[in-house]
Amino acid sequence: MTCYSAKRQSTAFLDKHLRPRENARIAAHLNECADCAVYFEQVGSLCSGLNALPGVIAPAGLKTALRVLASRERQVVEQTHGSRWKLPWERWKFRLRVMMEPITIPAAGGLLSALMLFGTLLLAIDTNAVRASVGYEAPIMSTDDTNLVPIELRSKDVILTMSLDSDGHIQDYAVQDGTTSFTGDTARLQYNNIALPDFAGILTFAHPITSDIRIRFTPIAFRP
Amino acid sequence: MGQQYLGMPGKLSILAGAQAGVSDEDARILRGLRSGIEDAYEELIARYQGGVYGIVFRLLGNQNDASDVVQEVFLKIFRSVDSFREQSSLRTWIYRIAVNEAHNHRRWFSRHCCREVAVDEGIDPSESLKSAADPGRSPFEQALERENRTLIEQALDRINPVFRTAVILRDIENLSYEEIADILQVSLGTVKSRILRGRDALRRELTLEHGFAEAFI
Repeated sequence: MTCYSAKRQSTAFLDKHLRPRENARIAAHLNECADCAVYFEQVGSLCSGLNALPGVIAPAGLKTALRVLASRERQVVEQTHGSRWKLPWERWKFRLRVMMEPITIPAAGGLLSALMLFGTLLLAIDTNAVRASVGYEAPIMSTDDTNLVPIELRSKDVILTMSLDSDGHIQDYAVQDGTTSFTGDTARLQYNNIALPDFAGILTFAHPITSDIRIRFTPIAFRP
Repeated sequence: MGQQYLGMPGKLSILAGAQAGVSDEDARILRGLRSGIEDAYEELIARYQGGVYGIVFRLLGNQNDASDVVQEVFLKIFRSVDSFREQSSLRTWIYRIAVNEAHNHRRWFSRHCCREVAVDEGIDPSESLKSAADPGRSPFEQALERENRTLIEQALDRINPVFRTAVILRDIENLSYEEIADILQVSLGTVKSRILRGRDALRRELTLEHGFAEAFI
Protein backbone atom coordinates (compact mmCIF):
# COMPACT_ATOMS: atom_id res chain seq x y z
CA MET A 1 0.00 0.00 0.00
CA THR A 2 1.32 3.43 -0.91
CA CYS A 3 1.17 6.48 1.32
CA TYR A 4 -1.14 8.18 -1.21
CA SER A 5 -3.76 5.42 -1.13
CA ALA A 6 -3.46 5.14 2.67
CA LYS A 7 -4.13 8.88 3.11
CA ARG A 8 -7.02 8.69 0.67
CA GLN A 9 -8.70 6.22 2.95
CA SER A 10 -7.94 8.11 6.16
CA THR A 11 -11.51 9.46 6.35
CA ALA A 12 -13.09 6.02 6.20
CA PHE A 13 -10.41 4.56 8.50
CA LEU A 14 -10.91 7.18 11.21
CA ASP A 15 -14.70 6.98 10.89
CA LYS A 16 -14.52 3.16 11.05
CA HIS A 17 -16.20 2.74 7.73
CA LEU A 18 -13.73 0.27 6.26
CA ARG A 19 -14.05 -3.46 6.00
CA PRO A 20 -11.83 -5.40 8.41
CA ARG A 21 -9.43 -6.45 5.64
CA GLU A 22 -8.92 -2.87 4.43
CA ASN A 23 -8.60 -1.72 8.02
CA ALA A 24 -5.85 -4.23 8.67
CA ARG A 25 -3.93 -3.18 5.56
CA ILE A 26 -3.91 0.44 6.59
CA ALA A 27 -2.96 -0.42 10.17
CA ALA A 28 -0.04 -2.43 8.84
CA HIS A 29 1.05 0.49 6.66
CA LEU A 30 0.90 2.87 9.60
CA ASN A 31 3.19 0.55 11.54
CA GLU A 32 5.76 0.81 8.79
CA CYS A 33 5.40 4.44 7.69
CA ALA A 34 6.13 7.09 10.34
CA ASP A 35 4.94 9.99 8.15
CA CYS A 36 1.55 8.41 7.57
CA ALA A 37 1.31 7.53 11.25
CA VAL A 38 1.86 11.21 12.16
CA TYR A 39 -0.62 12.29 9.49
CA PHE A 40 -3.31 9.93 10.75
CA GLU A 41 -2.66 10.99 14.35
CA GLN A 42 -3.01 14.65 13.47
CA VAL A 43 -6.22 14.15 11.52
CA GLY A 44 -7.57 11.99 14.32
CA SER A 45 -6.81 14.73 16.89
CA LEU A 46 -8.44 17.25 14.63
CA CYS A 47 -11.61 15.16 14.41
CA SER A 48 -11.68 14.84 18.18
CA GLY A 49 -11.17 18.59 18.52
CA LEU A 50 -14.02 19.27 16.11
CA ASN A 51 -16.25 16.82 17.91
CA ALA A 52 -15.48 18.49 21.22
CA LEU A 53 -16.49 21.95 20.02
CA PRO A 54 -19.31 23.23 22.18
CA GLY A 55 -22.83 23.54 20.83
CA VAL A 56 -24.18 26.90 19.82
CA ILE A 57 -26.97 28.65 21.69
CA ALA A 58 -29.62 30.29 19.58
CA PRO A 59 -30.46 33.88 20.54
CA ALA A 60 -33.37 34.29 22.92
CA GLY A 61 -35.65 36.05 20.47
CA LEU A 62 -35.27 33.51 17.69
CA LYS A 63 -37.80 31.03 19.02
CA THR A 64 -40.37 33.79 19.44
CA ALA A 65 -39.73 35.00 15.90
CA LEU A 66 -40.20 31.47 14.59
CA ARG A 67 -43.45 31.12 16.50
CA VAL A 68 -44.75 34.35 15.04
CA LEU A 69 -43.80 33.09 11.60
CA ALA A 70 -45.51 29.78 12.25
CA SER A 71 -48.64 31.49 13.48
CA ARG A 72 -48.87 33.61 10.34
CA GLU A 73 -48.38 30.62 8.07
CA ARG A 74 -50.85 28.54 10.01
CA GLN A 75 -53.43 31.31 9.58
CA VAL A 76 -53.02 31.19 5.83
CA VAL A 77 -53.47 27.41 5.83
CA GLU A 78 -56.62 27.77 7.95
CA GLN A 79 -58.11 30.50 5.78
CA THR A 80 -57.61 28.61 2.59
CA HIS A 81 -58.59 25.27 4.17
CA GLY A 82 -55.50 23.81 2.55
CA SER A 83 -57.05 24.45 -0.88
CA ARG A 84 -54.65 23.52 -3.64
CA TRP A 85 -55.22 26.70 -5.59
CA LYS A 86 -56.08 29.22 -2.93
CA LEU A 87 -52.99 28.56 -0.84
CA PRO A 88 -50.44 29.30 -3.55
CA TRP A 89 -52.51 32.31 -4.61
CA GLU A 90 -52.53 33.71 -1.06
CA ARG A 91 -48.81 33.14 -0.81
CA TRP A 92 -48.17 34.88 -4.12
CA LYS A 93 -50.24 37.82 -2.99
CA PHE A 94 -48.18 38.01 0.18
CA ARG A 95 -44.92 37.79 -1.75
CA LEU A 96 -46.03 40.49 -4.16
CA ARG A 97 -47.00 42.74 -1.30
CA VAL A 98 -43.69 42.16 0.44
CA MET A 99 -41.86 42.80 -2.82
CA MET A 100 -43.71 46.05 -3.51
CA GLU A 101 -43.36 47.43 0.00
CA PRO A 102 -39.78 48.64 -0.32
CA ILE A 103 -40.49 50.49 -3.55
CA THR A 104 -43.92 51.87 -2.70
CA ILE A 105 -42.73 54.90 -0.75
CA PRO A 106 -39.91 55.91 -3.13
CA ALA A 107 -42.22 55.38 -6.11
CA ALA A 108 -44.93 57.54 -4.56
CA GLY A 109 -42.38 60.18 -3.69
CA GLY A 110 -41.00 60.13 -7.23
CA LEU A 111 -44.47 60.43 -8.74
CA LEU A 112 -45.34 63.34 -6.47
CA SER A 113 -42.08 65.13 -7.28
CA ALA A 114 -42.66 64.63 -11.02
CA LEU A 115 -46.20 66.00 -10.74
CA MET A 116 -45.01 69.05 -8.83
CA LEU A 117 -42.11 69.74 -11.18
CA PHE A 118 -44.00 69.38 -14.43
CA GLY A 119 -47.04 71.12 -13.02
CA THR A 120 -44.87 74.15 -12.27
CA LEU A 121 -43.27 73.99 -15.71
CA LEU A 122 -46.67 73.80 -17.39
CA LEU A 123 -47.76 76.95 -15.60
CA ALA A 124 -44.58 78.72 -16.62
CA ILE A 125 -44.90 77.97 -20.33
CA ASP A 126 -48.62 78.67 -20.61
CA THR A 127 -48.91 81.49 -23.27
CA ASN A 128 -52.49 82.26 -22.35
CA ALA A 129 -51.32 83.31 -18.94
CA VAL A 130 -48.64 85.57 -20.45
CA ARG A 131 -51.13 87.05 -22.85
CA ALA A 132 -53.58 87.64 -20.10
CA SER A 133 -51.08 89.64 -18.07
CA VAL A 134 -49.68 91.67 -20.95
CA GLY A 135 -52.82 92.02 -23.11
CA TYR A 136 -50.84 92.01 -26.32
CA GLU A 137 -51.63 90.03 -29.39
CA ALA A 138 -48.70 88.26 -30.93
CA PRO A 139 -48.24 89.52 -34.48
CA ILE A 140 -49.11 87.16 -37.28
CA MET A 141 -46.85 87.25 -40.29
CA SER A 142 -48.74 88.48 -43.37
CA THR A 143 -47.69 88.17 -46.99
CA ASP A 144 -50.02 90.96 -48.03
CA ASP A 145 -48.27 93.83 -49.86
CA THR A 146 -50.15 96.44 -47.87
CA ASN A 147 -47.69 95.90 -45.07
CA LEU A 148 -44.65 96.02 -47.33
CA VAL A 149 -42.49 99.14 -47.24
CA PRO A 150 -42.39 100.17 -50.91
CA ILE A 151 -38.77 101.30 -51.12
CA GLU A 152 -35.71 99.43 -52.14
CA LEU A 153 -33.31 99.03 -49.30
CA ARG A 154 -29.77 99.49 -50.57
CA SER A 155 -27.79 100.76 -47.69
CA LYS A 156 -26.57 98.91 -44.71
CA ASP A 157 -28.05 101.40 -42.38
CA VAL A 158 -31.85 101.28 -42.41
CA ILE A 159 -33.62 103.36 -39.84
CA LEU A 160 -37.10 102.28 -38.89
CA THR A 161 -38.94 104.68 -36.65
CA MET A 162 -42.33 103.86 -35.27
CA SER A 163 -44.52 104.88 -32.39
CA LEU A 164 -46.81 102.54 -30.51
CA ASP A 165 -49.94 103.21 -28.52
CA SER A 166 -50.82 101.73 -25.14
CA ASP A 167 -52.07 98.55 -26.79
CA GLY A 168 -48.84 98.03 -28.68
CA HIS A 169 -50.36 98.98 -32.02
CA ILE A 170 -48.31 100.93 -34.52
CA GLN A 171 -49.55 104.53 -34.71
CA ASP A 172 -47.17 105.78 -37.34
CA TYR A 173 -43.92 104.66 -38.85
CA ALA A 174 -41.24 105.79 -41.23
CA VAL A 175 -38.42 103.95 -42.95
CA GLN A 176 -35.24 105.72 -44.04
CA ASP A 177 -32.70 104.00 -46.23
CA GLY A 178 -29.81 106.28 -46.94
CA THR A 179 -31.31 109.21 -48.83
CA THR A 180 -34.58 107.40 -49.51
CA SER A 181 -37.38 107.53 -46.99
CA PHE A 182 -40.94 106.36 -46.70
CA THR A 183 -43.66 107.36 -44.27
CA GLY A 184 -46.24 104.67 -43.76
CA ASP A 185 -50.02 104.77 -43.65
CA THR A 186 -51.03 102.90 -40.51
CA ALA A 187 -54.62 102.67 -41.69
CA ARG A 188 -53.49 100.27 -44.34
CA LEU A 189 -51.44 98.07 -42.04
CA GLN A 190 -52.79 94.65 -41.43
CA TYR A 191 -52.16 92.70 -38.24
CA ASN A 192 -49.97 95.42 -36.85
CA ASN A 193 -46.80 94.42 -38.65
CA ILE A 194 -44.45 96.02 -41.10
CA ALA A 195 -42.79 93.98 -43.81
CA LEU A 196 -39.40 95.11 -45.04
CA PRO A 197 -38.44 94.26 -48.64
CA ASP A 198 -35.46 92.17 -49.60
CA PHE A 199 -32.15 93.89 -49.41
CA ALA A 200 -31.02 94.43 -53.06
CA GLY A 201 -27.40 93.95 -52.31
CA ILE A 202 -28.00 90.26 -51.83
CA LEU A 203 -29.53 89.65 -55.29
CA THR A 204 -27.82 92.20 -57.63
CA PHE A 205 -25.10 89.98 -58.98
CA ALA A 206 -27.11 86.78 -58.77
CA HIS A 207 -24.99 85.45 -56.07
CA PRO A 208 -25.28 86.09 -52.42
CA ILE A 209 -23.22 88.83 -50.95
CA THR A 210 -23.07 88.57 -47.26
CA SER A 211 -23.47 91.73 -45.35
CA ASP A 212 -24.43 92.81 -41.90
CA ILE A 213 -27.79 94.55 -41.77
CA ARG A 214 -28.30 97.18 -39.16
CA ILE A 215 -31.74 98.44 -38.39
CA ARG A 216 -31.68 101.33 -36.05
CA PHE A 217 -34.81 101.16 -34.07
CA THR A 218 -36.00 103.93 -31.78
CA PRO A 219 -38.76 102.72 -29.53
CA ILE A 220 -40.97 105.17 -27.80
CA ALA A 221 -41.63 103.95 -24.31
CA PHE A 222 -45.23 104.46 -23.38
CA ARG A 223 -46.07 104.76 -19.79
CA PRO A 224 -49.77 104.67 -18.88
CA MET B 1 -59.60 16.11 15.57
CA GLY B 2 -55.84 16.60 15.48
CA GLN B 3 -53.65 14.32 17.48
CA GLN B 4 -51.72 15.54 20.48
CA TYR B 5 -48.15 16.49 19.77
CA LEU B 6 -45.73 16.28 22.64
CA GLY B 7 -43.01 18.89 22.61
CA MET B 8 -39.57 17.30 22.58
CA PRO B 9 -36.32 19.25 22.65
CA GLY B 10 -34.34 18.66 19.48
CA LYS B 11 -31.41 16.26 19.89
CA LEU B 12 -28.98 15.06 17.28
CA SER B 13 -28.18 11.40 17.15
CA ILE B 14 -25.74 9.30 15.18
CA LEU B 15 -27.57 7.08 12.75
CA ALA B 16 -26.14 3.96 11.21
CA GLY B 17 -27.52 4.95 7.87
CA ALA B 18 -29.90 7.41 6.30
CA GLN B 19 -33.55 6.69 6.84
CA ALA B 20 -35.37 5.76 3.72
CA GLY B 21 -38.43 7.98 3.94
CA VAL B 22 -39.91 9.54 7.04
CA SER B 23 -40.51 7.92 10.38
CA ASP B 24 -44.02 7.63 11.85
CA GLU B 25 -43.33 10.55 14.13
CA ASP B 26 -42.18 12.77 11.30
CA ALA B 27 -45.17 11.72 9.21
CA ARG B 28 -47.45 12.82 12.03
CA ILE B 29 -45.74 16.21 12.21
CA LEU B 30 -46.05 16.62 8.46
CA ARG B 31 -49.74 15.80 8.53
CA GLY B 32 -50.20 18.36 11.30
CA LEU B 33 -48.33 21.04 9.34
CA ARG B 34 -50.40 20.41 6.25
CA SER B 35 -53.61 20.63 8.25
CA GLY B 36 -52.56 23.78 10.11
CA ILE B 37 -52.46 22.20 13.58
CA GLU B 38 -50.67 24.51 15.98
CA ASP B 39 -48.97 21.82 18.03
CA ALA B 40 -47.28 20.42 14.93
CA TYR B 41 -45.68 23.80 14.26
CA GLU B 42 -44.55 24.06 17.87
CA GLU B 43 -43.02 20.62 17.84
CA LEU B 44 -41.21 21.22 14.57
CA ILE B 45 -39.65 24.38 15.97
CA ALA B 46 -38.73 22.70 19.24
CA ARG B 47 -37.13 19.72 17.50
CA TYR B 48 -35.15 21.40 14.78
CA GLN B 49 -34.51 24.99 15.74
CA GLY B 50 -31.32 24.17 17.65
CA GLY B 51 -29.86 21.90 15.00
CA VAL B 52 -30.64 24.24 12.15
CA TYR B 53 -29.24 27.22 14.00
CA GLY B 54 -26.07 25.28 14.85
CA ILE B 55 -25.39 24.37 11.22
CA VAL B 56 -26.19 27.81 9.88
CA PHE B 57 -24.11 29.54 12.55
CA ARG B 58 -21.11 27.35 11.81
CA LEU B 59 -21.46 28.02 8.10
CA LEU B 60 -21.90 31.78 8.38
CA GLY B 61 -19.98 32.56 11.56
CA ASN B 62 -22.29 35.43 12.45
CA GLN B 63 -25.11 35.37 14.96
CA ASN B 64 -27.32 37.98 13.29
CA ASP B 65 -26.99 36.44 9.86
CA ALA B 66 -27.65 33.00 11.29
CA SER B 67 -30.87 34.20 12.96
CA ASP B 68 -32.11 35.73 9.73
CA VAL B 69 -31.30 32.65 7.72
CA VAL B 70 -32.93 30.32 10.25
CA GLN B 71 -36.16 32.28 9.90
CA GLU B 72 -35.90 31.99 6.13
CA VAL B 73 -35.35 28.26 6.48
CA PHE B 74 -38.42 27.71 8.61
CA LEU B 75 -40.52 29.90 6.35
CA LYS B 76 -39.48 27.74 3.44
CA ILE B 77 -40.26 24.61 5.42
CA PHE B 78 -43.77 25.83 6.26
CA ARG B 79 -44.45 26.82 2.71
CA SER B 80 -43.04 23.82 0.91
CA VAL B 81 -44.28 21.14 3.28
CA ASP B 82 -46.92 20.24 0.70
CA SER B 83 -44.32 19.55 -1.96
CA PHE B 84 -42.09 17.40 0.30
CA ARG B 85 -42.26 13.93 -1.22
CA GLU B 86 -41.05 12.10 1.91
CA GLN B 87 -38.37 10.20 0.05
CA SER B 88 -35.80 11.26 2.63
CA SER B 89 -36.11 11.81 6.34
CA LEU B 90 -37.59 15.05 7.61
CA ARG B 91 -34.29 15.97 9.25
CA THR B 92 -32.21 15.63 6.09
CA TRP B 93 -34.80 17.61 4.14
CA ILE B 94 -34.72 20.43 6.71
CA TYR B 95 -30.94 20.43 6.91
CA ARG B 96 -30.75 20.52 3.11
CA ILE B 97 -32.83 23.67 3.09
CA ALA B 98 -30.66 25.12 5.86
CA VAL B 99 -27.38 24.44 4.02
CA ASN B 100 -28.72 25.86 0.75
CA GLU B 101 -30.07 28.98 2.42
CA ALA B 102 -26.79 29.56 4.23
CA HIS B 103 -24.85 29.24 0.97
CA ASN B 104 -27.26 31.56 -0.84
CA HIS B 105 -26.96 34.10 1.94
CA ARG B 106 -23.18 34.03 1.81
CA ARG B 107 -23.19 34.33 -1.97
CA TRP B 108 -25.58 37.30 -1.85
CA PHE B 109 -23.43 39.06 0.72
CA SER B 110 -20.18 38.47 -1.09
CA ARG B 111 -21.77 39.85 -4.28
CA HIS B 112 -23.18 42.98 -2.73
CA CYS B 113 -20.54 43.51 -0.06
CA CYS B 114 -23.21 44.84 2.24
CA ARG B 115 -21.98 43.94 5.60
CA GLU B 116 -24.08 45.44 8.34
CA VAL B 117 -22.16 46.43 11.37
CA ALA B 118 -23.94 44.96 14.31
CA VAL B 119 -24.26 47.05 17.42
CA ASP B 120 -22.73 44.25 19.40
CA GLU B 121 -19.98 43.47 16.92
CA GLY B 122 -17.36 44.00 19.56
CA ILE B 123 -18.68 41.01 21.41
CA ASP B 124 -16.71 37.82 20.96
CA PRO B 125 -18.89 35.42 18.89
CA SER B 126 -17.66 32.53 20.95
CA GLU B 127 -19.86 33.86 23.73
CA SER B 128 -22.78 32.31 21.88
CA LEU B 129 -21.15 28.97 22.36
CA LYS B 130 -22.00 26.86 25.32
CA SER B 131 -19.07 26.46 27.63
CA ALA B 132 -19.80 24.02 30.35
CA ALA B 133 -17.00 24.32 32.87
CA ASP B 134 -15.70 20.92 33.74
CA PRO B 135 -15.01 20.95 37.48
CA GLY B 136 -12.42 18.22 36.98
CA ARG B 137 -10.12 20.38 34.86
CA SER B 138 -7.74 23.01 36.05
CA PRO B 139 -8.06 26.62 34.88
CA PHE B 140 -4.94 26.11 32.78
CA GLU B 141 -6.45 23.14 31.02
CA GLN B 142 -9.69 25.02 30.48
CA ALA B 143 -7.83 27.99 29.02
CA LEU B 144 -5.87 25.65 26.75
CA GLU B 145 -9.06 23.98 25.64
CA ARG B 146 -10.62 27.36 24.85
CA GLU B 147 -7.59 28.36 22.85
CA ASN B 148 -7.65 25.12 20.90
CA ARG B 149 -11.31 25.65 20.10
CA THR B 150 -10.60 29.17 18.86
CA LEU B 151 -7.77 27.93 16.67
CA ILE B 152 -9.94 25.24 15.14
CA GLU B 153 -12.82 27.61 14.54
CA GLN B 154 -10.59 30.18 12.92
CA ALA B 155 -9.02 27.54 10.71
CA LEU B 156 -12.48 26.23 9.82
CA ASP B 157 -13.45 29.69 8.70
CA ARG B 158 -10.54 29.87 6.29
CA ILE B 159 -11.06 26.67 4.33
CA ASN B 160 -13.16 26.26 1.19
CA PRO B 161 -16.89 26.56 2.05
CA VAL B 162 -17.72 23.36 0.17
CA PHE B 163 -15.28 21.32 2.26
CA ARG B 164 -16.19 23.24 5.39
CA THR B 165 -19.84 22.21 5.03
CA ALA B 166 -18.90 18.54 4.74
CA VAL B 167 -16.60 18.69 7.78
CA ILE B 168 -19.21 20.53 9.87
CA LEU B 169 -21.92 18.03 9.03
CA ARG B 170 -19.65 15.05 9.74
CA ASP B 171 -17.37 16.03 12.58
CA ILE B 172 -19.48 18.57 14.45
CA GLU B 173 -23.06 17.55 13.73
CA ASN B 174 -22.20 13.82 13.67
CA LEU B 175 -24.32 13.01 10.64
CA SER B 176 -23.68 9.82 8.72
CA TYR B 177 -22.19 9.76 5.22
CA GLU B 178 -25.54 8.76 3.78
CA GLU B 179 -27.34 11.63 5.49
CA ILE B 180 -24.71 14.10 4.32
CA ALA B 181 -25.02 12.76 0.79
CA ASP B 182 -28.79 13.25 1.01
CA ILE B 183 -28.43 16.77 2.38
CA LEU B 184 -25.87 17.89 -0.14
CA GLN B 185 -27.46 15.90 -2.98
CA VAL B 186 -24.14 14.33 -3.97
CA SER B 187 -22.82 10.77 -4.08
CA LEU B 188 -21.23 8.95 -1.15
CA GLY B 189 -17.86 9.08 -2.86
CA THR B 190 -18.10 12.84 -3.19
CA VAL B 191 -19.00 13.16 0.49
CA LYS B 192 -15.95 11.15 1.52
CA SER B 193 -13.76 13.13 -0.82
CA ARG B 194 -15.01 16.46 0.52
CA ILE B 195 -14.56 15.37 4.12
CA LEU B 196 -11.05 14.15 3.34
CA ARG B 197 -10.08 17.38 1.64
CA GLY B 198 -11.73 19.47 4.34
CA ARG B 199 -9.84 17.72 7.12
CA ASP B 200 -6.62 17.93 5.16
CA ALA B 201 -7.13 21.66 4.55
CA LEU B 202 -7.83 22.21 8.24
CA ARG B 203 -4.70 20.31 9.21
CA ARG B 204 -2.63 22.42 6.84
CA GLU B 205 -4.14 25.63 8.17
CA LEU B 206 -3.36 24.70 11.73
CA THR B 207 0.15 23.57 10.79
CA LEU B 208 0.91 26.74 8.87
CA GLU B 209 -0.37 29.07 11.56
CA HIS B 210 0.86 27.49 14.70
CA GLY B 211 2.57 24.21 13.98
CA PHE B 212 0.22 21.35 14.58
CA ALA B 213 2.03 20.03 17.62
CA GLU B 214 1.73 23.40 19.35
CA ALA B 215 -1.93 23.72 18.46
CA PHE B 216 -2.78 20.42 20.06
CA ILE B 217 -0.60 20.05 23.10
